[in-house]
Amino acid sequence: MKSLERSHPTVTLLYFLAVTLPVMLCMEPLLLCISLAGALALLFSRTGGRNIRTLLYFLALLLLIALVNPLFQHDGVTVLFFLNGNPVTWEAIAFGLCAGAMTLAVLCWFLSMSQMMTTDKYLCVFGALSPKLSLMLSMALRFVPLFTKRMHAVRLAQRGLGLYRDGTLPDKLRGELRVFSVTVTWALENGIHTADSMEARGYGTGRRTAYAEYDFHAWDGALLALILLMLALTLCGLLTDAVAVTFYPALVRAERGVLAALTYAAYTLLSFLPTLLTVQEKIKWHFLQSKI
Amino acid sequence: MALLTVENLSFTYAGEETPALQDVSFSIRRGEMVVLCGATGCGKSTLMRLFKREISPMGEVSGEILLGGTPTASLSVRESAARIGYVMQHPEEQIVTDKVWHELAFGLESLGYPRDAIRRRVAEMASYFDIEPWFDKDTASLSGGQKQLLNLAAVLVTDPELLLLDEPTAQLDPIAAADFIDTLRRLNRELGLTMLLIEHRPEEVMPICDRLMIMEEGRLLAIDTPRRVMETLGTRPEILCGMPASVRLFHTLGENGTPPLGIREGREFLKASYANDVRALPHEPYTHGERVALSMKNVCFRYEKTGADVLRDTTLEVFEGEILCLLGANGSGKTTALSVAAGLFKPYSGTVRVFGKKQKDYRDGSLYRSCVALLPQNVQTVFLKSTVREELADAGADPAALPYDLTHLMARHPYDLSGGERQLVALAKVLATSPRLLLADEPTKGLDANAKRHLIEIFRTLKQNGVTVVIVTHDTELAAELCDRAALFFRGGIASISTPRAFFSENRFYTTAVSRMTRGIYDNAVTQSDAVSLCRQNGRRGGAS
Repeated sequence: MKSLERSHPTVTLLYFLAVTLPVMLCMEPLLLCISLAGALALLFSRTGGRNIRTLLYFLALLLLIALVNPLFQHDGVTVLFFLNGNPVTWEAIAFGLCAGAMTLAVLCWFLSMSQMMTTDKYLCVFGALSPKLSLMLSMALRFVPLFTKRMHAVRLAQRGLGLYRDGTLPDKLRGELRVFSVTVTWALENGIHTADSMEARGYGTGRRTAYAEYDFHAWDGALLALILLMLALTLCGLLTDAVAVTFYPALVRAERGVLAALTYAAYTLLSFLPTLLTVQEKIKWHFLQSKI
Repeated sequence: MALLTVENLSFTYAGEETPALQDVSFSIRRGEMVVLCGATGCGKSTLMRLFKREISPMGEVSGEILLGGTPTASLSVRESAARIGYVMQHPEEQIVTDKVWHELAFGLESLGYPRDAIRRRVAEMASYFDIEPWFDKDTASLSGGQKQLLNLAAVLVTDPELLLLDEPTAQLDPIAAADFIDTLRRLNRELGLTMLLIEHRPEEVMPICDRLMIMEEGRLLAIDTPRRVMETLGTRPEILCGMPASVRLFHTLGENGTPPLGIREGREFLKASYANDVRALPHEPYTHGERVALSMKNVCFRYEKTGADVLRDTTLEVFEGEILCLLGANGSGKTTALSVAAGLFKPYSGTVRVFGKKQKDYRDGSLYRSCVALLPQNVQTVFLKSTVREELADAGADPAALPYDLTHLMARHPYDLSGGERQLVALAKVLATSPRLLLADEPTKGLDANAKRHLIEIFRTLKQNGVTVVIVTHDTELAAELCDRAALFFRGGIASISTPRAFFSENRFYTTAVSRMTRGIYDNAVTQSDAVSLCRQNGRRGGAS
């Protein structure tokens, strides 16, 4: 068993798509709670309290969405009070809370995803789809920071030549334009050499392959199958309205049956899967270390 | 057995009248290491590119190029890409991807190798070149030497039979260059890799190459062992100036026969042939102008708040009208010191005075008007226009006021110029503000011997015109020839500073080839002319003239 982070990048990426899909399709309060709990558990199990600051910003966003919705949405039968002559309803607040929770859950999942999915892993996934696309991505990833670095060098050089003045705003704009065009000229000239270097190494002579450092092991296959199964079960529940919920005019949750229980169970397993794997790995390490 | 055979090869660039190559014939055997020399524009790079059909220049070719008996024109592009490796001058421009491992895999990916084969080759290359410690890094974070080593490894993954290298060490500092050349030697000796190498570092490559090719104006003058080539062509000054110090000394002394090759043989030759009764030249007295052009007092600087100090209490005085060379290893802070002197970075403590006035009292860019100018290391950061004429007009430079002539280059594109010519145009732009203090960051980087000589003359003229010059350089020969004082930069400060003769004769490693060759025989011979005059004063051993 391996943690999600050490699994094959395709599995990692698909997991995050699978876990966020159901909550984006349906704003079911219990499902949202499960998703949020799973996302937070994963964050804390991997990085401890390091993301607290980011989470506080996310929480502020949730409250904002929850508060703003009832100010503009006045549907709903349970009027709590009137604000400037407009009714503020319980249903609108509930909807706002759920929308906020959905945003929060998705953001938390993506936070973990951005920590796990390095550029190499994206390249591996896209390389399997299209080697050319993956090469273009890689070249772009190299080009952007290089361009910034060179702009800086050009700015210093032009200033040292006495050709860059930044006394007034028009001077500054003219100077920056100058710096930009020198850097572009340099990049274009550089491009000719890079093209030579690519052709000299056989670029464009036939079908490319995409090399990646990652292997797809049996474990990755098993994990992927589990993820897809849980996703399928959850989607079954969602599409058959087993866990349907309506907000307007009144908050109504349909009768929850066996299928609903199954949906909740499947989604719970899906949400807590990476946390379980992480914790399992940590325990194993602890155990191994205490033996050393 | 010949791996590469060239027969009566001539080439004319499309749209040009005069041929770039004329009737070139030679062959290279398997396992040979051949060095190709010649002045800029003699057709070396053109010749090399013609061997590789994917990147051959456009134009009219006649004659034959055979690789292992097959004409290269009939090789498929794939075969040509895999069988002939090609490494260029600029380390950064050859790198295609963002990660080291991806760059290594690039060639094999292009040829469509399956994953397992790629992994095997990449792993092997990374181990052989000791790339493993930085295997996962971004290519942008590597040093120049590491980048060039990566380029070499990335070419070798396809297992080429012939390796072509076009001035691979021109942009590297001396230590990285020596490492790189040593790697080439290892590849040649251990793996029997055949290589053709264009190089301007005679001290390092001549002793290890099997044969030396000399080209001049599109023709092949000679191809033979370096010793024999130098025996026959050593009397020609334009060829001699690109040769190792031992050979230059030998021929300047008017000796005949087989010249010594490299430091060790040079020493043996001197010991055997010349007396050493007069051991030293008189030390030239150091006189300096009254006024201080640049003074730095206890200057501290760091790039990042939490980073380490790059300049630590740097104190330096440069007097008006002198030429000062700053030498030192990469990362010792010499370029930073130059940038601080030019006002590009502000030190967090200490004072910088320019012509007696505090740097921060120069307002509204007055520091850069008739006062200070910096010639940057990378001249590509300077050019903006499509012709040299427009470049000069952009900076407000008057071509007639320059101490050298640029008229023949006026209509050319700055990027089409040779390294030496580019440097001259960049310098012209710098001189447009008529600076009294000129700061130059590695002005001779990547230049051949002739271009270097020309630049030295220009700096001398500038000095005569009253310009104070501070040069950061790795080039000990340049410093020994040119400067009034040389300083060694170490850990963000000046470790030693004195006149070049005293400076270089005291240093054991950071010194010129002549000084290393004459150590223990003569006490303070630093330049070619020092050694020649000492030898002449002493006369030959055994009474011979």
